Amino acid sequence: MTAVLILLPSVLLVGYFVYASIGWNVVVSLSNWEGLEPRYGIVGFPRYAELLNDPVFWISLKNNLLLILLFVPSSILLGLFLAILLDVKVRAEGVFRTVYLLPFALSFVITASLWAWMYDPEVGVLNILLENVGLGFLKSGWVTDSSIAMYCVILALTWQFSGYTMLVFLAGLRSIPESQVMAAEVDGAYGFSLYRRIMIPQLKSSVLAVFVILMVFALKGFDFIYILTGGGPGYSTFVLPLEMFRETFSMTHFAYGAAIATVLFVIVMLIVVPYLYMSSRRREE
Amino acid sequence: MKFPKPRRILLYILLILFAFAFVLPFWTGFTTSLKTKRDVIYTTPVEPPPSLTLEPWIEAFNIMEKPLFNSLIFTLLATIFSCIIGSINGYVLSKIRFKGSDLVFLFFSIGIFIPYQTVLIPLVLTMSRLRLYNTIEGLILAHTAYGIPICTLLFRNSYKEIPDSLIMAAKTDGAGTWAIYRRILLPLSSAPFVVAGVFQFTSIWNDFLFGLVLARGSEALPASVALANLKGTTTAFWNVQMAGALWYALPVIIVYLILGKYLVKGYMAGAVKG
Repeated sequence: MTAVLILLPSVLLVGYFVYASIGWNVVVSLSNWEGLEPRYGIVGFPRYAELLNDPVFWISLKNNLLLILLFVPSSILLGLFLAILLDVKVRAEGVFRTVYLLPFALSFVITASLWAWMYDPEVGVLNILLENVGLGFLKSGWVTDSSIAMYCVILALTWQFSGYTMLVFLAGLRSIPESQVMAAEVDGAYGFSLYRRIMIPQLKSSVLAVFVILMVFALKGFDFIYILTGGGPGYSTFVLPLEMFRETFSMTHFAYGAAIATVLFVIVMLIVVPYLYMSSRRREE
Repeated sequence: MKFPKPRRILLYILLILFAFAFVLPFWTGFTTSLKTKRDVIYTTPVEPPPSLTLEPWIEAFNIMEKPLFNSLIFTLLATIFSCIIGSINGYVLSKIRFKGSDLVFLFFSIGIFIPYQTVLIPLVLTMSRLRLYNTIEGLILAHTAYGIPICTLLFRNSYKEIPDSLIMAAKTDGAGTWAIYRRILLPLSSAPFVVAGVFQFTSIWNDFLFGLVLARGSEALPASVALANLKGTTTAFWNVQMAGALWYALPVIIVYLILGKYLVKGYMAGAVKG
Protein backbone atom coordinates (compact mmCIF):
# COMPACT_ATOMS: atom_id res chain seq x y z
CA MET A 1 0.00 0.00 0.00
CA THR A 2 2.80 2.38 0.91
CA ALA A 3 4.46 1.42 -2.37
CA VAL A 4 1.46 2.57 -4.33
CA LEU A 5 1.25 5.83 -2.37
CA ILE A 6 4.92 6.63 -2.91
CA LEU A 7 4.72 5.95 -6.63
CA LEU A 8 1.46 7.84 -7.09
CA PRO A 9 2.87 11.33 -7.80
CA SER A 10 5.28 10.00 -10.42
CA VAL A 11 2.64 7.82 -12.00
CA LEU A 12 0.35 10.84 -12.19
CA LEU A 13 3.05 13.07 -13.68
CA VAL A 14 4.16 10.53 -16.27
CA GLY A 15 0.54 9.52 -16.83
CA TYR A 16 -0.36 13.10 -17.61
CA PHE A 17 2.72 14.27 -19.53
CA VAL A 18 3.22 11.05 -21.48
CA TYR A 19 0.03 9.00 -21.76
CA ALA A 20 -2.74 11.57 -21.45
CA SER A 21 -0.77 13.91 -23.69
CA ILE A 22 -0.47 11.25 -26.38
CA GLY A 23 -4.24 10.75 -26.15
CA TRP A 24 -4.81 14.50 -26.29
CA ASN A 25 -2.61 14.70 -29.37
CA VAL A 26 -4.75 12.05 -31.05
CA VAL A 27 -7.87 14.06 -30.20
CA VAL A 28 -6.30 17.19 -31.73
CA SER A 29 -5.45 15.19 -34.85
CA LEU A 30 -9.13 14.33 -35.27
CA SER A 31 -10.15 17.99 -35.04
CA ASN A 32 -10.29 21.00 -37.31
CA TRP A 33 -7.97 23.18 -35.22
CA GLU A 34 -6.11 25.80 -37.23
CA GLY A 35 -4.82 29.10 -35.93
CA LEU A 36 -3.36 30.13 -32.62
CA GLU A 37 -6.47 29.88 -30.42
CA PRO A 38 -7.09 26.34 -29.18
CA ARG A 39 -10.74 26.21 -30.32
CA TYR A 40 -11.69 23.10 -32.15
CA GLY A 41 -14.35 20.53 -32.87
CA ILE A 42 -13.94 16.87 -33.67
CA VAL A 43 -14.31 16.16 -37.36
CA GLY A 44 -12.84 12.66 -37.71
CA PHE A 45 -10.11 11.63 -40.09
CA PRO A 46 -9.85 14.29 -42.82
CA ARG A 47 -6.35 15.34 -41.61
CA TYR A 48 -5.09 11.81 -42.15
CA ALA A 49 -6.62 11.79 -45.63
CA GLU A 50 -4.82 15.08 -46.39
CA LEU A 51 -1.55 13.47 -45.30
CA LEU A 52 -1.83 10.89 -48.04
CA ASN A 53 -2.03 13.65 -50.64
CA ASP A 54 0.73 15.81 -49.19
CA PRO A 55 3.96 15.50 -51.20
CA VAL A 56 6.05 16.90 -48.31
CA PHE A 57 4.76 14.12 -46.06
CA TRP A 58 5.96 11.52 -48.55
CA ILE A 59 9.34 13.22 -49.03
CA SER A 60 9.76 13.31 -45.25
CA LEU A 61 8.80 9.67 -44.86
CA LYS A 62 11.22 8.73 -47.64
CA ASN A 63 14.05 10.62 -45.89
CA ASN A 64 13.26 8.89 -42.59
CA LEU A 65 13.52 5.59 -44.44
CA LEU A 66 16.80 6.70 -45.97
CA LEU A 67 18.11 7.39 -42.45
CA ILE A 68 17.04 3.91 -41.35
CA LEU A 69 18.58 2.27 -44.41
CA LEU A 70 21.87 4.19 -44.47
CA PHE A 71 22.55 5.99 -41.19
CA VAL A 72 21.67 3.02 -38.95
CA PRO A 73 23.86 0.40 -40.70
CA SER A 74 26.75 2.82 -41.27
CA SER A 75 26.85 3.77 -37.57
CA ILE A 76 26.64 0.12 -36.55
CA LEU A 77 29.40 -0.97 -38.94
CA LEU A 78 31.77 1.88 -38.13
CA GLY A 79 31.16 1.42 -34.39
CA LEU A 80 31.79 -2.31 -34.68
CA PHE A 81 34.98 -1.68 -36.63
CA LEU A 82 36.25 0.79 -34.04
CA ALA A 83 35.33 -1.59 -31.20
CA ILE A 84 37.31 -4.41 -32.80
CA LEU A 85 40.31 -2.12 -33.33
CA LEU A 86 40.19 -1.11 -29.68
CA ASP A 87 39.50 -4.56 -28.27
CA VAL A 88 43.00 -5.93 -28.88
CA LYS A 89 44.64 -4.29 -25.85
CA VAL A 90 45.72 -1.08 -27.48
CA ARG A 91 47.93 1.43 -25.75
CA ALA A 92 46.11 4.67 -24.78
CA GLU A 93 42.77 2.94 -25.34
CA GLY A 94 41.11 5.41 -22.99
CA VAL A 95 42.26 8.37 -25.07
CA PHE A 96 40.90 6.90 -28.30
CA ARG A 97 37.61 5.98 -26.61
CA THR A 98 37.25 9.47 -25.18
CA VAL A 99 37.87 11.05 -28.58
CA TYR A 100 35.48 8.78 -30.47
CA LEU A 101 32.66 9.22 -27.96
CA LEU A 102 32.97 13.00 -27.52
CA PRO A 103 30.61 13.98 -30.39
CA PHE A 104 27.88 11.82 -28.88
CA ALA A 105 28.09 13.60 -25.53
CA LEU A 106 27.46 17.00 -27.08
CA SER A 107 24.24 18.71 -28.05
CA PHE A 108 23.02 18.35 -31.61
CA VAL A 109 22.98 22.13 -31.74
CA ILE A 110 26.76 22.14 -31.33
CA THR A 111 27.52 19.30 -33.71
CA ALA A 112 25.15 20.72 -36.33
CA SER A 113 26.86 24.13 -36.02
CA LEU A 114 30.28 22.50 -36.45
CA TRP A 115 29.09 20.59 -39.51
CA ALA A 116 27.48 23.69 -41.00
CA TRP A 117 30.97 25.16 -40.89
CA MET A 118 32.52 21.98 -42.33
CA TYR A 119 30.05 22.00 -45.23
CA ASP A 120 29.92 25.74 -45.96
CA PRO A 121 30.52 25.96 -49.73
CA GLU A 122 32.41 29.27 -49.72
CA VAL A 123 34.78 29.39 -46.74
CA GLY A 124 33.98 26.05 -45.06
CA VAL A 125 36.46 23.35 -44.11
CA LEU A 126 35.82 20.60 -46.65
CA ASN A 127 35.98 22.69 -49.82
CA ILE A 128 39.07 24.61 -48.73
CA LEU A 129 40.85 21.42 -47.68
CA LEU A 130 40.00 19.67 -50.95
CA GLU A 131 41.32 22.60 -52.90
CA ASN A 132 44.55 22.69 -50.89
CA VAL A 133 45.34 19.03 -51.40
CA GLY A 134 44.76 19.29 -55.14
CA LEU A 135 41.34 17.68 -55.16
CA GLY A 136 39.52 20.88 -56.09
CA PHE A 137 37.40 19.02 -58.62
CA LEU A 138 35.67 17.27 -55.69
CA LYS A 139 34.45 20.57 -54.29
CA SER A 140 30.74 20.55 -53.79
CA GLY A 141 27.79 22.53 -52.54
CA TRP A 142 27.35 19.84 -49.82
CA VAL A 143 24.22 20.68 -47.81
CA THR A 144 23.27 23.41 -50.29
CA ASP A 145 23.06 20.84 -53.11
CA SER A 146 19.66 19.19 -52.90
CA SER A 147 20.84 16.02 -54.62
CA ILE A 148 23.40 15.19 -51.91
CA ALA A 149 22.24 17.19 -48.86
CA MET A 150 20.60 14.15 -47.23
CA TYR A 151 23.80 12.13 -47.61
CA CYS A 152 25.78 14.94 -45.96
CA VAL A 153 23.35 14.74 -43.03
CA ILE A 154 23.84 10.97 -42.84
CA LEU A 155 27.64 11.30 -42.89
CA ALA A 156 27.63 13.83 -40.06
CA LEU A 157 25.19 11.78 -37.97
CA THR A 158 27.34 8.69 -38.45
CA TRP A 159 30.25 10.72 -37.11
CA GLN A 160 28.20 11.63 -34.06
CA PHE A 161 26.79 8.17 -33.28
CA SER A 162 29.66 5.79 -34.09
CA GLY A 163 31.33 6.44 -30.76
CA TYR A 164 28.16 5.32 -29.02
CA THR A 165 27.84 2.10 -31.03
CA MET A 166 31.57 1.48 -30.46
CA LEU A 167 31.00 1.79 -26.71
CA VAL A 168 28.17 -0.74 -26.65
CA PHE A 169 29.98 -3.22 -28.88
CA LEU A 170 33.23 -2.92 -26.96
CA ALA A 171 31.39 -3.76 -23.75
CA GLY A 172 29.79 -6.69 -25.55
CA LEU A 173 33.15 -7.98 -26.80
CA ARG A 174 34.66 -7.65 -23.34
CA SER A 175 31.88 -9.70 -21.77
CA ILE A 176 32.70 -12.76 -23.87
CA PRO A 177 34.42 -15.24 -21.52
CA GLU A 178 38.21 -15.38 -21.92
CA SER A 179 38.14 -19.19 -22.01
CA GLN A 180 36.00 -19.20 -25.16
CA VAL A 181 38.36 -16.83 -26.93
CA MET A 182 41.35 -18.89 -25.91
CA ALA A 183 39.72 -22.13 -27.08
CA ALA A 184 39.09 -20.56 -30.48
CA GLU A 185 42.67 -19.38 -30.64
CA VAL A 186 43.90 -22.90 -29.94
CA ASP A 187 41.71 -24.04 -32.84
CA GLY A 188 43.62 -21.66 -35.06
CA ALA A 189 41.20 -18.72 -35.24
CA TYR A 190 43.31 -15.63 -35.51
CA GLY A 191 43.03 -11.84 -35.84
CA PHE A 192 39.99 -10.66 -37.71
CA SER A 193 38.81 -14.16 -38.55
CA LEU A 194 38.53 -14.79 -34.83
CA TYR A 195 36.14 -11.85 -34.66
CA ARG A 196 34.17 -12.87 -37.70
CA ARG A 197 33.70 -16.47 -36.66
CA ILE A 198 33.62 -16.43 -32.89
CA MET A 199 33.01 -13.02 -31.39
CA ILE A 200 30.70 -11.02 -33.65
CA PRO A 201 28.01 -13.75 -33.56
CA GLN A 202 27.94 -13.31 -29.77
CA LEU A 203 27.11 -9.62 -30.05
CA LYS A 204 23.56 -10.38 -31.17
CA SER A 205 21.84 -8.76 -28.20
CA SER A 206 24.02 -5.60 -28.28
CA VAL A 207 23.45 -5.25 -32.02
CA LEU A 208 19.70 -5.63 -31.52
CA ALA A 209 19.62 -3.00 -28.75
CA VAL A 210 21.68 -0.52 -30.77
CA PHE A 211 19.62 -1.25 -33.86
CA VAL A 212 16.37 -0.37 -32.07
CA ILE A 213 17.81 2.75 -30.45
CA LEU A 214 19.25 4.06 -33.73
CA MET A 215 16.08 3.29 -35.67
CA VAL A 216 14.04 5.22 -33.12
CA PHE A 217 16.47 8.11 -33.44
CA ALA A 218 16.30 7.92 -37.25
CA LEU A 219 12.56 8.43 -36.92
CA LYS A 220 12.33 11.05 -34.18
CA GLY A 221 15.60 12.97 -34.56
CA PHE A 222 14.83 16.64 -35.09
CA ASP A 223 17.46 19.04 -33.71
CA PHE A 224 20.37 18.14 -35.93
CA ILE A 225 18.62 18.42 -39.30
CA TYR A 226 16.58 21.45 -38.20
CA ILE A 227 19.79 23.35 -37.47
CA LEU A 228 22.07 22.02 -40.22
CA THR A 229 19.70 22.34 -43.18
CA GLY A 230 16.31 23.41 -41.83
CA GLY A 231 14.90 20.74 -44.16
CA GLY A 232 16.33 22.41 -47.25
CA PRO A 233 17.32 23.07 -49.88
CA GLY A 234 13.68 22.97 -50.92
CA TYR A 235 12.23 19.97 -49.10
CA SER A 236 15.19 17.73 -49.82
CA THR A 237 16.10 17.00 -46.19
CA PHE A 238 12.65 17.14 -44.61
CA VAL A 239 11.89 14.36 -42.14
CA LEU A 240 8.63 13.70 -40.29
CA PRO A 241 9.59 15.55 -37.07
CA LEU A 242 10.53 18.63 -39.13
CA GLU A 243 7.33 18.46 -41.13
CA MET A 244 5.38 18.14 -37.86
CA PHE A 245 7.14 21.17 -36.41
CA ARG A 246 6.68 23.30 -39.52
CA GLU A 247 2.99 22.53 -39.92
CA THR A 248 2.28 23.02 -36.22
CA PHE A 249 4.39 25.91 -35.06
CA SER A 250 5.24 27.82 -38.24
CA MET A 251 1.92 27.45 -40.03
CA THR A 252 -0.36 26.89 -36.99
CA HIS A 253 -2.02 23.87 -38.61
CA PHE A 254 -2.32 22.25 -35.20
CA ALA A 255 -4.67 19.43 -36.18
CA TYR A 256 -2.52 18.53 -39.16
CA GLY A 257 0.70 18.62 -37.12
CA ALA A 258 -0.94 16.38 -34.52
CA ALA A 259 -1.85 13.89 -37.25
CA ILE A 260 1.78 13.74 -38.40
CA ALA A 261 2.89 13.26 -34.79
CA THR A 262 0.42 10.42 -34.35
CA VAL A 263 1.71 8.64 -37.46
CA LEU A 264 5.26 9.06 -36.16
CA PHE A 265 4.22 7.70 -32.76
CA VAL A 266 2.63 4.61 -34.28
CA ILE A 267 5.72 3.84 -36.38
CA VAL A 268 8.06 4.24 -33.38
CA MET A 269 5.87 2.06 -31.15
CA LEU A 270 5.77 -0.67 -33.82
CA ILE A 271 9.53 -0.91 -33.27
CA VAL A 272 9.78 -0.28 -29.52
CA VAL A 273 6.96 -2.39 -28.08
CA PRO A 274 8.04 -5.72 -29.61
CA TYR A 275 11.60 -4.96 -28.49
CA LEU A 276 10.62 -4.17 -24.89
CA TYR A 277 8.41 -7.26 -24.85
CA MET A 278 11.22 -9.46 -26.17
CA SER A 279 13.83 -8.12 -23.79
CA SER A 280 11.55 -8.50 -20.76
CA ARG A 281 10.85 -12.10 -21.82
CA ARG A 282 14.57 -12.74 -22.16
CA ARG A 283 15.25 -11.38 -18.69
CA GLU A 284 12.70 -13.79 -17.20
CA GLU A 285 14.33 -16.81 -18.79
CA MET B 1 44.89 -11.28 -28.15
CA LYS B 2 47.52 -12.29 -30.70
CA PHE B 3 48.30 -9.85 -33.46
CA PRO B 4 51.51 -9.89 -35.53
CA LYS B 5 53.67 -6.80 -35.37
CA PRO B 6 53.15 -5.25 -38.84
CA ARG B 7 49.39 -5.55 -38.29
CA ARG B 8 49.78 -3.79 -34.96
CA ILE B 9 51.34 -0.79 -36.68
CA LEU B 10 48.52 -0.72 -39.22
CA LEU B 11 46.10 -0.88 -36.30
CA TYR B 12 47.56 2.23 -34.68
CA ILE B 13 47.61 4.08 -38.00
CA LEU B 14 43.90 3.35 -38.42
CA LEU B 15 43.08 4.37 -34.86
CA ILE B 16 44.95 7.65 -35.27
CA LEU B 17 43.38 8.43 -38.66
CA PHE B 18 39.94 7.91 -37.16
CA ALA B 19 40.88 10.07 -34.19
CA PHE B 20 41.80 12.86 -36.64
CA ALA B 21 38.49 12.49 -38.43
CA PHE B 22 36.60 12.69 -35.13
CA VAL B 23 38.57 15.70 -33.93
CA LEU B 24 38.65 17.69 -37.19
CA PRO B 25 35.30 19.50 -36.73
CA PHE B 26 36.26 20.50 -33.17
CA TRP B 27 39.73 21.60 -34.15
CA THR B 28 38.63 23.81 -37.05
CA GLY B 29 35.78 25.18 -34.94
CA PHE B 30 38.30 26.07 -32.26
CA THR B 31 40.87 27.70 -34.56
CA THR B 32 38.11 29.63 -36.33
CA SER B 33 36.78 30.94 -33.02
CA LEU B 34 40.18 32.57 -32.39
CA LYS B 35 40.47 34.27 -35.78
CA THR B 36 39.43 37.68 -37.01
CA LYS B 37 36.83 37.74 -39.76
CA ARG B 38 39.60 38.55 -42.27
CA ASP B 39 41.70 35.58 -41.17
CA VAL B 40 38.69 33.26 -41.37
CA ILE B 41 38.43 34.13 -45.06
CA TYR B 42 42.13 34.27 -45.92
CA THR B 43 43.59 31.34 -43.95
CA THR B 44 42.69 27.67 -44.26
CA PRO B 45 40.30 26.44 -41.56
CA VAL B 46 42.76 23.96 -40.05
CA GLU B 47 45.70 26.28 -39.51
CA PRO B 48 46.07 28.12 -36.22
CA PRO B 49 45.20 31.84 -36.23
CA PRO B 50 48.07 34.04 -37.49
CA SER B 51 47.00 36.74 -35.07
CA LEU B 52 45.16 35.43 -32.03
CA THR B 53 41.96 37.29 -31.10
CA LEU B 54 39.50 36.72 -28.27
CA GLU B 55 36.96 39.10 -29.82
CA PRO B 56 34.67 36.31 -31.12
CA TRP B 57 34.58 34.68 -27.67
CA ILE B 58 33.69 37.97 -26.02
CA GLU B 59 31.08 38.83 -28.63
CA ALA B 60 29.50 35.38 -28.38
CA PHE B 61 29.48 35.55 -24.58
CA ASN B 62 27.71 38.89 -24.62
CA ILE B 63 24.94 37.34 -26.69
CA MET B 64 24.83 34.03 -24.81
CA GLU B 65 25.40 35.14 -21.22
CA LYS B 66 21.77 35.26 -20.11
CA PRO B 67 20.76 32.07 -22.01
CA LEU B 68 23.75 30.19 -20.56
CA PHE B 69 22.67 31.27 -17.10
CA ASN B 70 19.07 30.21 -17.82
CA SER B 71 20.23 26.80 -19.00
CA LEU B 72 22.39 26.35 -15.93
CA ILE B 73 19.46 27.09 -13.58
CA PHE B 74 16.82 24.86 -15.15
CA THR B 75 19.32 22.10 -15.91
CA LEU B 76 20.59 21.91 -12.34
CA LEU B 77 17.15 22.05 -10.74
CA ALA B 78 15.49 19.58 -13.12
CA THR B 79 18.47 17.24 -12.70
CA ILE B 80 18.15 17.33 -8.91
CA PHE B 81 14.36 16.86 -8.93
CA SER B 82 14.34 14.02 -11.45
CA CYS B 83 17.15 12.20 -9.64
CA ILE B 84 15.45 12.40 -6.24
CA ILE B 85 12.16 11.17 -7.71
CA GLY B 86 13.97 8.48 -9.71
CA SER B 87 15.78 7.27 -6.60
CA ILE B 88 12.57 6.89 -4.60
CA ASN B 89 10.80 5.17 -7.50
CA GLY B 90 13.78 2.90 -8.09
CA TYR B 91 13.71 1.89 -4.43
CA VAL B 92 10.02 1.05 -4.44
CA LEU B 93 10.21 -0.85 -7.73
CA SER B 94 13.26 -2.90 -6.79
CA LYS B 95 12.84 -3.56 -3.06
CA ILE B 96 9.14 -3.51 -2.22
CA ARG B 97 7.22 -6.40 -3.71
CA PHE B 98 3.72 -5.55 -4.80
CA LYS B 99 1.30 -6.74 -7.43
CA GLY B 100 1.79 -5.02 -10.75
CA SER B 101 5.26 -3.65 -10.03
CA ASP B 102 6.49 -4.96 -13.39
CA LEU B 103 3.59 -3.26 -15.08
CA VAL B 104 4.42 0.07 -13.41
CA PHE B 105 8.00 -0.36 -14.54
CA LEU B 106 6.86 -0.95 -18.13
CA PHE B 107 4.62 2.10 -17.80
CA PHE B 108 7.71 4.21 -17.02
CA SER B 109 9.99 2.46 -19.55
CA ILE B 110 7.81 3.26 -22.53
CA GLY B 111 8.13 6.92 -21.57
CA ILE B 112 11.85 6.73 -22.44
CA PHE B 113 11.18 5.88 -26.05
CA ILE B 114 8.23 8.04 -27.06
CA PRO B 115 8.92 10.57 -29.80
CA TYR B 116 8.43 13.95 -28.12
CA GLN B 117 6.67 15.27 -31.22
CA THR B 118 3.62 13.33 -30.03
CA VAL B 119 3.37 15.37 -26.84
CA LEU B 120 4.50 18.80 -28.06
CA ILE B 121 1.07 20.28 -28.75
CA PRO B 122 -0.45 19.12 -25.43
CA LEU B 123 2.72 20.28 -23.66
CA VAL B 124 2.44 23.79 -25.06
CA LEU B 125 -1.28 23.91 -24.16
CA THR B 126 -0.59 22.62 -20.64
CA MET B 127 2.17 25.11 -20.02
CA SER B 128 0.14 28.05 -21.21
CA ARG B 129 -2.81 27.00 -19.02
CA LEU B 130 -0.49 26.70 -16.03
CA ARG B 131 0.91 30.12 -17.00
CA LEU B 132 4.34 28.49 -17.24
CA TYR B 133 4.79 29.09 -20.96
CA ASN B 134 8.04 31.01 -21.64
CA THR B 135 9.26 30.57 -18.06
CA ILE B 136 12.19 28.82 -16.42
CA GLU B 137 9.70 27.05 -14.14
CA GLY B 138 7.96 25.58 -17.16
CA LEU B 139 11.23 24.18 -18.47
CA ILE B 140 12.03 22.73 -15.04
CA LEU B 141 8.63 21.02 -14.88
CA ALA B 142 8.90 19.60 -18.41
CA HIS B 143 12.43 18.32 -17.98
CA THR B 144 11.64 16.83 -14.57
CA ALA B 145 8.49 15.05 -15.77
CA TYR B 146 10.12 13.60 -18.89
CA GLY B 147 13.24 12.71 -16.90
CA ILE B 148 11.35 10.49 -14.42
CA PRO B 149 11.26 7.39 -16.69
CA ILE B 150 15.00 7.20 -17.36
CA CYS B 151 15.96 8.11 -13.78
CA THR B 152 13.61 5.46 -12.42
CA LEU B 153 15.23 2.90 -14.73
CA LEU B 154 18.78 3.89 -13.75
CA PHE B 155 18.11 3.78 -9.99
CA ARG B 156 16.06 0.57 -10.16
CA ASN B 157 18.83 -1.24 -12.03
CA SER B 158 21.40 -0.02 -9.54
CA TYR B 159 19.34 -0.88 -6.43
CA LYS B 160 18.74 -4.39 -7.74
CA GLU B 161 22.39 -5.09 -6.96
CA ILE B 162 21.88 -4.36 -3.26
CA PRO B 163 21.22 -7.71 -1.51
CA ASP B 164 17.67 -8.18 -0.23
CA SER B 165 19.08 -9.68 2.97
CA LEU B 166 20.13 -6.18 4.07
CA ILE B 167 16.54 -4.98 3.67
CA MET B 168 15.23 -8.06 5.50
CA ALA B 169 17.59 -7.51 8.39
CA ALA B 170 16.47 -3.91 8.74
CA LYS B 171 12.83 -4.98 8.55
CA THR B 172 13.26 -7.49 11.39
CA ASP B 173 14.81 -4.66 13.37
CA GLY B 174 11.51 -2.89 12.90
CA ALA B 175 12.57 -0.29 10.33
CA GLY B 176 9.74 1.13 8.21
CA THR B 177 9.66 1.84 4.49
CA TRP B 178 11.23 5.28 4.78
CA ALA B 179 13.75 4.27 7.41
CA ILE B 180 15.01 1.49 5.15
CA TYR B 181 15.38 3.97 2.30
CA ARG B 182 17.18 6.51 4.46
CA ARG B 183 19.39 4.17 6.44
CA ILE B 184 20.20 1.43 3.88
CA LEU B 185 19.57 2.56 0.31
CA LEU B 186 20.56 6.20 0.47
CA PRO B 187 24.05 5.68 1.93
CA LEU B 188 24.72 3.20 -0.91
CA SER B 189 23.38 5.57 -3.55
CA SER B 190 26.31 7.82 -4.39
CA ALA B 191 27.18 5.88 -7.57
CA PRO B 192 23.67 5.86 -9.06
CA PHE B 193 23.20 9.51 -8.11
CA VAL B 194 26.36 10.43 -10.02
CA VAL B 195 25.37 8.26 -13.01
CA ALA B 196 21.82 9.58 -13.21
CA GLY B 197 22.92 13.11 -12.32
CA VAL B 198 25.56 13.29 -15.04
CA PHE B 199 23.20 11.71 -17.54
CA GLN B 200 20.37 14.12 -16.75
CA PHE B 201 22.64 17.15 -16.62
CA THR B 202 24.03 16.50 -20.08
CA SER B 203 20.69 15.55 -21.66
CA ILE B 204 18.83 18.54 -20.25
CA TRP B 205 21.67 20.94 -20.99
CA ASN B 206 21.81 19.57 -24.56
CA ASP B 207 18.06 19.74 -25.15
CA PHE B 208 16.84 21.90 -27.98
CA LEU B 209 13.27 20.86 -28.79
CA PHE B 210 11.61 21.73 -25.46
CA GLY B 211 13.46 25.02 -25.31
CA LEU B 212 12.37 25.82 -28.84
CA VAL B 213 8.66 25.24 -28.29
CA LEU B 214 8.40 26.34 -24.65
CA ALA B 215 10.71 29.35 -24.38
CA ARG B 216 11.61 30.67 -27.80
CA GLY B 217 12.19 34.41 -27.87
CA SER B 218 11.58 34.91 -24.18
CA GLU B 219 13.44 35.84 -21.01
CA ALA B 220 13.79 32.12 -20.31
CA LEU B 221 15.62 31.43 -23.60
CA PRO B 222 17.92 28.40 -23.20
CA ALA B 223 21.51 28.42 -24.51
CA SER B 224 20.73 25.79 -27.17
CA VAL B 225 18.07 28.00 -28.77
CA ALA B 226 20.26 31.10 -28.42
CA LEU B 227 23.04 29.30 -30.29
CA ALA B 228 20.62 28.21 -33.02
CA ASN B 229 19.46 31.83 -33.34
CA LEU B 230 23.08 32.92 -33.62
CA LYS B 231 23.47 30.59 -36.59
CA GLY B 232 20.37 32.01 -38.20
CA THR B 233 21.65 35.60 -38.22
CA THR B 234 23.86 37.06 -40.92
CA THR B 235 25.54 39.42 -38.46
CA ALA B 236 27.29 36.67 -36.53
CA PHE B 237 30.13 35.44 -38.70
CA TRP B 238 31.58 31.93 -38.46
CA ASN B 239 34.15 32.89 -35.84
CA VAL B 240 31.43 34.17 -33.48
CA GLN B 241 29.20 31.18 -34.21
CA MET B 242 32.02 28.76 -33.41
CA ALA B 243 32.89 30.64 -30.23
CA GLY B 244 29.21 30.50 -29.23
CA ALA B 245 29.10 26.76 -29.90
CA LEU B 246 32.19 26.25 -27.76
CA TRP B 247 30.82 28.35 -24.89
CA TYR B 248 27.72 26.21 -24.93
CA ALA B 249 29.77 23.00 -25.21
CA LEU B 250 32.11 23.89 -22.36
CA PRO B 251 30.12 22.62 -19.34
CA VAL B 252 29.38 19.29 -21.02
CA ILE B 253 33.00 18.88 -22.14
CA ILE B 254 34.16 19.48 -18.55
CA VAL B 255 31.63 16.99 -17.18
CA TYR B 256 32.56 14.51 -19.92
CA LEU B 257 36.28 14.71 -19.22
CA ILE B 258 35.93 14.48 -15.44
CA LEU B 259 32.95 12.16 -15.03
CA GLY B 260 32.88 10.43 -18.42
CA LYS B 261 33.10 7.03 -16.77
CA TYR B 262 29.69 7.60 -15.15
CA LEU B 263 28.14 9.14 -18.25
CA VAL B 264 29.08 6.00 -20.15
CA LYS B 265 27.13 3.93 -17.61
CA GLY B 266 24.07 6.03 -18.34
CA TYR B 267 24.51 5.49 -22.07
CA MET B 268 24.90 1.77 -21.56
CA ALA B 269 21.56 1.57 -19.77
CA GLY B 270 20.03 1.71 -23.19
CA ALA B 271 19.13 5.34 -23.09
CA VAL B 272 19.55 7.75 -25.94
CA LYS B 273 18.81 11.38 -26.29
CA GLY B 274 16.75 12.98 -29.02
